[in-house]
Amino acid sequence: MHIAEGFLPPAHAIAWGVASAPFVVHGVRSLTREVREHPESTLLLGASGAFTFVLSALKLPSVTGSCSHPTGTGLGAILFRPPIMAVLGTITLLFQALLLAHGGLTTLGANVFSMAIAGPWAGYGIYRLLRRYDVPLMVTVFFGAFVADLVTYCVTSVQLALAFPDPSSGFLGALGKFGSIFAVTQIPLAVSEGLLTVLVMRLLVQSSKGELTRLGVLLSGRRNRTETEAVAR
Amino acid sequence: MLPIDAAAHSSRWRRRHPVDKAVLGLGLTVLAISLPPWPGAALVLVTALVVLLGPAGVPGRRLWRAYRVPLGFCVTGALPLLVQVGGPGGFLTLAESGPVRAGELLLRTSAASLGVLLFAFTTPMSDLLPRLVKAGVPAPVVDVALVTYRMSFLLLDSVRRIREAQAARLGHTTRAATWRSLAGLGAIAFVRAFDRAARLQTGLAGRGYDGTLRVLVPEARVSVRFVCAGLALLAAVAALTFVLERPLT
Repeated sequence: MHIAEGFLPPAHAIAWGVASAPFVVHGVRSLTREVREHPESTLLLGASGAFTFVLSALKLPSVTGSCSHPTGTGLGAILFRPPIMAVLGTITLLFQALLLAHGGLTTLGANVFSMAIAGPWAGYGIYRLLRRYDVPLMVTVFFGAFVADLVTYCVTSVQLALAFPDPSSGFLGALGKFGSIFAVTQIPLAVSEGLLTVLVMRLLVQSSKGELTRLGVLLSGRRNRTETEAVAR
Repeated sequence: MLPIDAAAHSSRWRRRHPVDKAVLGLGLTVLAISLPPWPGAALVLVTALVVLLGPAGVPGRRLWRAYRVPLGFCVTGALPLLVQVGGPGGFLTLAESGPVRAGELLLRTSAASLGVLLFAFTTPMSDLLPRLVKAGVPAPVVDVALVTYRMSFLLLDSVRRIREAQAARLGHTTRAATWRSLAGLGAIAFVRAFDRAARLQTGLAGRGYDGTLRVLVPEARVSVRFVCAGLALLAAVAALTFVLERPLT
């Protein structure tokens, strides 16, 4: 769902950069505070960034027979929280633009807004909401990842529709066009990413309970034990 | 190492300061999106190609391998511009101005991508990241980016080897097995990333780590001559665009 280099007109590229800036600045401040208080966090956050980068390089089988890759925004937001994800997402998108030629520098603001801000916040919001109502962990993880992916795709469609309104039906027509073209791959991909995230989380609960508790994903105490036992069953 | 970064490390302009290359490469990208697509973006495209294959010495095959990725995205993204929704002709009809808009978009994106590739193919990340502190990016963010960059290659290598091992154990023969293998791959990547970070932390603590990662950055100075030549080239492209624009349109 990367918007390619040069795809957006200059005014749109600047506007999306400005829209992303407060979230990224907030994330940078959270990250800087965290690193100043706990210098060892630099390495953990770096590892988290590398994990996000690698996650976006995994190939997912798609229903159309081709392959695609997960955005990783849902899992990233659940594990590391949206403000940190805004910074890690920006770093990952910068690397993808310069090392893989995916996305771009002039479209970095727009891509950051959809993939590192809107997607993670929406996915994390759903995850927290469902957790509040004691919905099982794996169900909340599925919906967190599914919604994060879907919102990323919807925001990208809006960004493209705003930049290229339909000559006859304007913004709404363009939204329909871009939305329906991306829907063919993105809706099955969102389901796939949700399922994959659940499978990854199941393995993580079994193998990395300590890290997940430290990240605040698993609660300590009786509730955590009950959840872990439920997952193991 | 990823192909673009590997090419940047052996680039002819490797020892030049990143600012020198940013002025030229990113300047071409800015021109590509701000000048009229015809003839502006076309001129930028030709200029970027000549600089990439000529003075910068990027091998054509390597450039094509990297360039075809954004080109594919550009073509897919330009397709919706060919049709229009609603109107007197029916619900979905060919847009009258569609081919021109799609062509202009393709020209603009392909030219802008080449500008960024010029910068990426000549500037290794390890030269760029430490210098971002001077550009005002907070040091902790740059440190996290540096660790991310260095750890990404190790993780990508681990993931590749794990995938090979999974394939050798028939882990990709059925759809269900593929999903199980993918999930295992994602989980192992997480565990390895955190394990590596913990071991790195132990090693650095033994060397008196105080929260700042000090890395050696190759000495390079901004070349006024190179920057001026780059700016002159950009100005020439912009001027030629305005000269050619009237007769062509």
